Amino acid sequence: MPALLEVAGLRKRFGAIVVADDVTFSLESGQCLGMIGPNGAGKSSVFNLIAGTIAPDGGTIRFQGRDLGRLPSHLRARLGIVRAFQIPQPFPHLTVYENVLAAASFGAGRSGPAAARAALDVLATMGLAAKSGVLAGRLPLLDRKRLELGKAVASSAKVLLLDEIAAGLTEPEVEELVGLVRSLKTSHAIIWIEHIPHALRAVADRLMVLHFGRNVLEGPPAEVMTSRLVREIYMGFRADDVA
Amino acid sequence: MTRDRHAYRAWAIAALGVLALAAAPWVIGEGAQRFLSEAMLMLAMAQMWNLLAGYAGLVSMGQQVFVGLGAYCLFFASISLKVAPFWVLPLAPLLCAAVAAIVALFMFRLREAYFAIGTWVFSEVVSLLVSKTERLGGERGIGLPTARLVDPRWLEPLTFWLSAAIAVASVFGTYALLRSRVGLGLMTVRDNEVAAAGIGVDVWRNRFIAFVVAAAGCGLAGAVNFTATLYVAPGFAFDPNWVVAMMIIVIIGGIGTLEGPILGVIIYFALREALTVVFGLSAGWYLIGLGLVAIAAILFEPDGLWPLVRGRLGGDWLSVRREPPAPLRMTAAAPAAADAATSSPRGLGATRE
Repeated sequence: MPALLEVAGLRKRFGAIVVADDVTFSLESGQCLGMIGPNGAGKSSVFNLIAGTIAPDGGTIRFQGRDLGRLPSHLRARLGIVRAFQIPQPFPHLTVYENVLAAASFGAGRSGPAAARAALDVLATMGLAAKSGVLAGRLPLLDRKRLELGKAVASSAKVLLLDEIAAGLTEPEVEELVGLVRSLKTSHAIIWIEHIPHALRAVADRLMVLHFGRNVLEGPPAEVMTSRLVREIYMGFRADDVA
Repeated sequence: MTRDRHAYRAWAIAALGVLALAAAPWVIGEGAQRFLSEAMLMLAMAQMWNLLAGYAGLVSMGQQVFVGLGAYCLFFASISLKVAPFWVLPLAPLLCAAVAAIVALFMFRLREAYFAIGTWVFSEVVSLLVSKTERLGGERGIGLPTARLVDPRWLEPLTFWLSAAIAVASVFGTYALLRSRVGLGLMTVRDNEVAAAGIGVDVWRNRFIAFVVAAAGCGLAGAVNFTATLYVAPGFAFDPNWVVAMMIIVIIGGIGTLEGPILGVIIYFALREALTVVFGLSAGWYLIGLGLVAIAAILFEPDGLWPLVRGRLGGDWLSVRREPPAPLRMTAAAPAAADAATSSPRGLGATRE
């Protein structure tokens, strides 16, 4: 039985800039893999490669054992690989309900009452039921983040790619979002790029550290965060020098 | 409940309108018929441009190419086959759809302003090719001798009914398209292309459908328009003023609404008649006037005038908003649907949030 998502030897460079250099990992449903690394380490690029918005120079991405090759992003979304963006990307002139309905229609391939039912279920889960008729462009930030997650869930995502979805939220809001992501973990495989350590520690089973496009370290969150390597990468100096 | 009542009212008005259009040729004179035919064909073209720019996020500056191709297709087929022009009318939208399907392969590589310029250039190229083709009359253009095969008493009413049918079909056809699955996909593409693909929408396919439909619609309207004038030449058929008029009508009326182009076309022709007939100004002046109105609309009412009018009338009219089915809505408790009725989708980048 192959893993739900298997990334092997993924490589991508833009000119002299290497954004993915032999990135390898695998993920099962019910797992959350946290991804950390300094700005420019290639975290979002790895998401772009998995979601199919950019093509890799080499390596393979297998989903349920199937090599995704050059499959375009909308077909990957239909298979169940869906991302939530750092800056939420709602459809601003559609209502909250229509946003989620579109995801249930196209991502999950539902139609008619089944799509409507799925959309309403997701809105209830995300705590957006009372705002279903509001234009998505008018939502406050936390609700936009909820909607961003809601669209992904309504698309019948199996792998959720969460790109710094807690960024810009207040501390209590982060707590709320963490609770939401944790509840999603039971039924999804999640890769979560985040800069907020306690958020990752609360949800992630493993952490992966990207540095200049390489995954330099992978392990349990507490272990990775206290590791010398991570401190060196983030602080920009060798940990030995401090003492 | 009010939503239903307004929907009934809209349908009742539409039914009365259709009846009035059917009876009109016995009531009004030929001049009025010709004027209304022109306005209704213009409405159909504007609605097609609205479908592209307001719902598919495709700002075409070359829609006139399909107006011209539709007209030339009808003239050429009618003259070659020696049949009355109305019999070969279906060929015009078919040819335009086929051309659009091929052109889309190239044009869809261009985005935003580049797409606008690309379509315009394509139109100019086709116009030049036609003007160099002697079989199509070259720069001088060609007449429509086969119009004599139609009983002259029926030529004007037939044109009128066809124009009316095309206008009605453009409004309700677009309505049906937007209410369909394709329509939901189109609106997500218009709002955010990357996010649309991210939830599984085939961005290219949705745009392709809109582009082909809009080409067919403009081709059909163009063919009927030049049947009425009995003469076509590249300078008129491929005139960029066609797309300028479509754009002005849509912007004044309200882009991204189905009622906007109807309101826009009324304002457009009212202003034109007022300036040229009532004030007796030369043709250039109404274009200047309309340009000023369009600029004012962009500056002060970027959503167009329809949202204001709807605000006074109340109701949903031809809204393509989707709402949860009533029995589901009860169980899920979603009371905030009121906001949806008072807000309209907007199309162009200038008004985007």
